[in-house]
Amino acid sequence: MEIFSIIMLLFLVGCSIAVSITKNLLASIIIFMSYSLIMAILWEILNAPDLAITEAAVGAGITTLLFVLTLKRVRGVKK
Amino acid sequence: MNDIILKEIGKIVIPYIQIFGIYVIFNGHLSPGGGFSGGTVIGASLVLYKLIYGPEMIKKIINYKIVMHSMSIALLAYGILKGYSFITGGADLHLFQIPLGTPGNILSGGLLLPLNIAVGIIVGFTIFAFYSLFDEGEL
Repeated sequence: MEIFSIIMLLFLVGCSIAVSITKNLLASIIIFMSYSLIMAILWEILNAPDLAITEAAVGAGITTLLFVLTLKRVRGVKK
Repeated sequence: MNDIILKEIGKIVIPYIQIFGIYVIFNGHLSPGGGFSGGTVIGASLVLYKLIYGPEMIKKIINYKIVMHSMSIALLAYGILKGYSFITGGADLHLFQIPLGTPGNILSGGLLLPLNIAVGIIVGFTIFAFYSLFDEGEL
């Protein structure tokens, strides 16, 4: 389980760096969603299942949806 | 969105999501979860319903009036119940207390179950209202 947490933490660091250096805004939002999903797995490893449920619903679901809607509203998506 | 696959999968998936949310709310004092977690799950299912079937279908079931009425009633219930427990506990008055029940059952823990249900209603409708406000600018 130790090695699994280290791999997940490396993914977390990679995702958070990739969010900030990606030029395409839609791709950045999708990477942010995967960051949130990895964070939910890490909460489960840290023995906090209720936070894992909340993170999976809010972070990976609702926040991504609101970001995509805002991007559509400001016409940031390149056709 | 007129996608037949999306509609048929939605018919199967959405009830399970809502039942899971209700399970998380009702077992909040026994197992991980509670009002906020279950409310977000139910709100996500409502958002998914609106995303698949369009805003006209959900206007028949959940409109502005129902959202505002249920959120106000839930907030009032939360305030009254929690205020009552503050008064009886803090001022050391020997008023009526809710029976605690046997530990391990659903009906135990005193006021935790109704407070969890109130929080779940508020959070679920708030998330749906956020999505509606971001999407159309109105509820």
